[in-house]
Amino acid sequence: MTRIACFVEKYNFAYSDEAEALQCFKQTAERLGHKFNFMFRSGLSEIPKYDAVFIRATTDPLYTAYVVSKTAWELGLKVVDDPVSIRVCANKVHQYRLFEKHCVPHIPTIFLSKEDFHHKQIEEVFELFGKPVVLKAPYTSFSKYVEKVSCETSFREVAKRFFRRSDYIVVQKFTPSRFDWRVGVLNGEVLYVCKYMMPKGKWKHGVKRRGKPSFVWGRTVTLKRDNAPQKLKETALRACGVIGRGLYGVDIKEVNGDYVVVEVNDNPSIYKGQEDYRDKDIYEKIIRFLAE
Amino acid sequence: MGYYVSLHAEILGDDVVPTTEDAIDAYRLPILLVRASKKGALIMPYLVTDSVKQIMAEFNFPVVVFAVNPFSFNGFQTAKNRTALYRVVKSLSMNYRYAVCVQPLRGEMIACKSFFGQCNIEDANIMEIARKVYETFNIPICKLYIQRVGGKAYLCGLQPLKMEEISPLEADLISKMVSRFSEKGGFD
Repeated sequence: MTRIACFVEKYNFAYSDEAEALQCFKQTAERLGHKFNFMFRSGLSEIPKYDAVFIRATTDPLYTAYVVSKTAWELGLKVVDDPVSIRVCANKVHQYRLFEKHCVPHIPTIFLSKEDFHHKQIEEVFELFGKPVVLKAPYTSFSKYVEKVSCETSFREVAKRFFRRSDYIVVQKFTPSRFDWRVGVLNGEVLYVCKYMMPKGKWKHGVKRRGKPSFVWGRTVTLKRDNAPQKLKETALRACGVIGRGLYGVDIKEVNGDYVVVEVNDNPSIYKGQEDYRDKDIYEKIIRFLAE
Repeated sequence: MGYYVSLHAEILGDDVVPTTEDAIDAYRLPILLVRASKKGALIMPYLVTDSVKQIMAEFNFPVVVFAVNPFSFNGFQTAKNRTALYRVVKSLSMNYRYAVCVQPLRGEMIACKSFFGQCNIEDANIMEIARKVYETFNIPICKLYIQRVGGKAYLCGLQPLKMEEISPLEADLISKMVSRFSEKGGFD
């Protein structure tokens, strides 16, 4: 029997699909004979009592989830997401540098530093990638801090905002598509495959409502992993291979029949009736990995 | 910017001091305590939480409270009673958005400057802690918070040392150490 702690925050239970998925993890673990408890921020001192920690709260080296992950890791527990994956996935500069080093096909990307940011550089970017381009803060997640700019004024305005929290920002070629592939990967194997559709008239999967704090999300169309294109799966596995052997959600765009990686996310969303719609065994595979 | 310099060098396969992993871990207090204690440094019992009730259930007053968030680098605060604890936790957790790290205050809190594992306080136990922290994280310049209880010293926290806190004599020591690093290709 493996004692598994699932680190969550209150917001993980805000959406019924996510709350149901968490219950699926618990039921699956218990069916397999393991102990599965939800651990909140006040339960961190209990970490040594467990054999494995599964993190579902948003991960970032600046958040409590990283403290949980690293503490568990240092104590020799099995951890998903492991601290290395959190560090690499939370910093897109780190991630794209690794893709460059290991020749993983990815969206054309350059980095701008706060120190060298000037008018000529913006002109060079537009010359290189055309208009518009996509600006990303290194700490982006859930489609936040990713913005499209078409002129120098908006480029400066967005860059100024992103430079407040980071010395570098990421600039990418704008590649419009009706959907992004999302490939779930666990321990070097494909777990699920979905299409994250863009909401009507939008260019990214999650878009903030004008003047409101809430987001509007596109539909999720799920495929059986065995029916997904082989080349897509190979690209996803190659991207994850340079990061680690944990649980990832790889965003991929299809460009003229080729697959290019948009980004790899640790702590990927798993919602009941969405990512698990075609391959119901994803809960069992994750629990078995934690209990190994 | 220093983080990205280290990051790029690491990706290119160069030796970097400190590594990006150590630079992140040393400033996340609970991780500092876990890793330093594994290396043999004495630490106080601690609690990571945002719940005042839980703190009061675990520790008697007074307690020392450190922020565990990316924005606060201004030392610690002590709380001697329930009202003070509520005020301190609300402030350091940024209105309960982040957790705090709480330790019992049983002796005297000391702040010492550490330069390459050598500290500016003539106390064998404190010097030993500074050395162990440096061996673990390789943070060349930092401020250590240490609690002295009886004859023993306990590591409580680590924070960046501001430029204005470094005296000319210390700046001279730092430049000598960096010269030695360049000559030998590494620290002792």
